[in-house]
Amino acid sequence: MLTLAWRNLWRQRRRSLVTAGAVGTVVTLSILYYSLGGASTNSMYQSLTEGTGQIQVHVTGYRDLREFGTLLIEGAESVRAMIEASADGAEVIGVLEVPSLLAGEDRSRGIVLSGQDWTPALLDRFIDQSLSAGRFLEEDEFEGIVLGEALANALEVGLGDEVFAYAPGTEGFGAAAYTVVGLLDLLDANYEGRAAFIPLGAAQELAAPGAVTRFELHYPELVRLDQDTKIATVRDELRASLNDYSVESWQELNPSLVRLLDAIGPMMAALNIIFFILAGLLVINTIYLSLMERIHEFGIIISLGANGRKVMSMITLESVLLCVTGAVVGTGAGLAGVAYLSRGFTFPGLEEYYASFGLNPVFYASITPKQVLFSIAFALATGILAALWPASMAARLEPVEAMRFTT
Amino acid sequence: MSTIYTVKDLKKTYRVGDVATEALRGIDLKIEQGEFTAIAGPSGSGKSTLLHLMGALDTPSSGEVWLSGRRIDRLAKPPSAQLRLWNIGFVFQAYNLIPVMSALENAAFVLELQGVGRRERESKALQALAALDMAEFADRRPNQLSGGQQQRVAVARALAADPQIILADEPTANLDSETGQSLIHYMQRLNTEQGVTFVFSTHDPRLLNQVTRIIRIEDGRIVQEEPVQAA
Ligand SMILES: Nc1ncnc2c1ncn2[C@@H]1O[C@H](COP(=O)(O)OP(=O)(O)OP(=O)(O)O)[C@@H](O)[C@H]1O
Ligand SMILES: [Mg+2]
Repeated sequence: MLTLAWRNLWRQRRRSLVTAGAVGTVVTLSILYYSLGGASTNSMYQSLTEGTGQIQVHVTGYRDLREFGTLLIEGAESVRAMIEASADGAEVIGVLEVPSLLAGEDRSRGIVLSGQDWTPALLDRFIDQSLSAGRFLEEDEFEGIVLGEALANALEVGLGDEVFAYAPGTEGFGAAAYTVVGLLDLLDANYEGRAAFIPLGAAQELAAPGAVTRFELHYPELVRLDQDTKIATVRDELRASLNDYSVESWQELNPSLVRLLDAIGPMMAALNIIFFILAGLLVINTIYLSLMERIHEFGIIISLGANGRKVMSMITLESVLLCVTGAVVGTGAGLAGVAYLSRGFTFPGLEEYYASFGLNPVFYASITPKQVLFSIAFALATGILAALWPASMAARLEPVEAMRFTT
Repeated sequence: MSTIYTVKDLKKTYRVGDVATEALRGIDLKIEQGEFTAIAGPSGSGKSTLLHLMGALDTPSSGEVWLSGRRIDRLAKPPSAQLRLWNIGFVFQAYNLIPVMSALENAAFVLELQGVGRRERESKALQALAALDMAEFADRRPNQLSGGQQQRVAVARALAADPQIILADEPTANLDSETGQSLIHYMQRLNTEQGVTFVFSTHDPRLLNQVTRIIRIEDGRIVQEEPVQAA
């Protein structure tokens, strides 16, 4: 039966090739599309969680608090120890954000001075992507500061120049002088005008000894959204052990972006279905035409005693064969494409756009075996569904009438 | 001898638009097991129509067809397909082969529909082809065969599945007299040796000399019945 189906497809070679090609193209597109969707999703996940960590700990109700003093997590080191005890494998970063006035020789700016420690991996990436001049901070230094280029320009300072920070009404010294040791070229120009980093210890000395405004928990090994599953559990455990504090996952920290992320899946599925419907219409057409050309033949087959089920399965087999052949070739092409794109690519012209959301504009295509199988299954289903109508027509042919039919 | 076919007052009217053609106007006949019957008549007299109705390929306008005690003129599609597949061998008027299949595959097709395994069906089909002097053409496609050769493949297809009844619509129409004769002899041998009941239409006088019974129809009616002594 299989060879018969092959030969029948081969009879109208060009038409079959075009149709199989269309199915193959759809499968290729669908695989590429999934891989790009996966790339976008993962890149968004990575950017989001690099920026905020997977989990953050603040004082309770911090969103509504304005006073610097009320935002502080005092006794930061013991809180950190508690976090590290219950969140296995997380790299914990303490951040102290100090609203302060930063002044150069002639100019000043009100900014939020960011004192924090870094995980080695995050620091490497940050230096790689953003440091445009000078060096980054050492963990234990107290004099150095790193500024966004735009902020440095606004303050009219450069590498080696001094800046002064005033943070009045706090528990620390309230004022300090720093030397600009590095400059940052950040993707988000707006942020670049407000970015100033010092080590956590320096910030605590300036404004709040022994305190932080938040802890971030980073899991650098989680780079894909589908690896994120354990975060919710860790968050709930932390909530139980740190009940005086607010514990939030990255989803709760970025609700609008998460909504965007959640829409990717259904949107991809919808577009994919449209693709396959279009290919399916072409397959229906092909199978229908080949039935019309062979009405006489089906008349013979039915006359000899083939029942409706047999006739339907013969036609369905041809359709499935057509689609699966296309799908196999399409999968090959698609996977080759994914392999190529997995080495990293950008959407030309959209780099700025992504950057403005703080997203990494370099994407790494990735696809799961499940998605590949999904595409092939889709092609298979297309083959079966497309054959349904022509096949049921063939099954209802009257044998004598069909045998009299000559083309 | 038991009765294979009983046909009662069988009528068939074709309607094409406003034109009604009365192809059969009331046929009554009985066919006993093991008979070798020819239906003779001029073109358009209704021979093919009668054979189609006897083969459950079509439904009559009125009347009845009984096959081995079972009424078969109003069967639904699945049981009629079943009946054709297992009980009746067909040879159609125009040699009706499947173009993408070799002669061997065509000859084995009914067996394939019956679900017979490849080896067995091919050996049976080859036997049938050989009996019709067609073994050497087993691998050819229909379009590489002459009309007569194609007709012999069609006969081999009907024979290969060992049906108890063979309905053949002008089986020798496209054969030269020599191959026509050998086909008839082969059919006769099956008839006498295996008791296969043959009903076939023809207007070949040489054929009519070889049959045990001739039913002549004209204009949709039986005009003469001749029991003949086998030659
Ligand atoms: N499907 C059909 N639609 C309309 N008329 C038909 C149809 N089939 C047969 N007829 C008509 O019925 C009559 C009998 O046809 P049938 O094919 O049975 O004749 P036949 O004896 O087999 O002729 P031949 O020897 O030429 O094969 C003819 O007048 C034919 O035109
Ligand atoms: Mg005829």
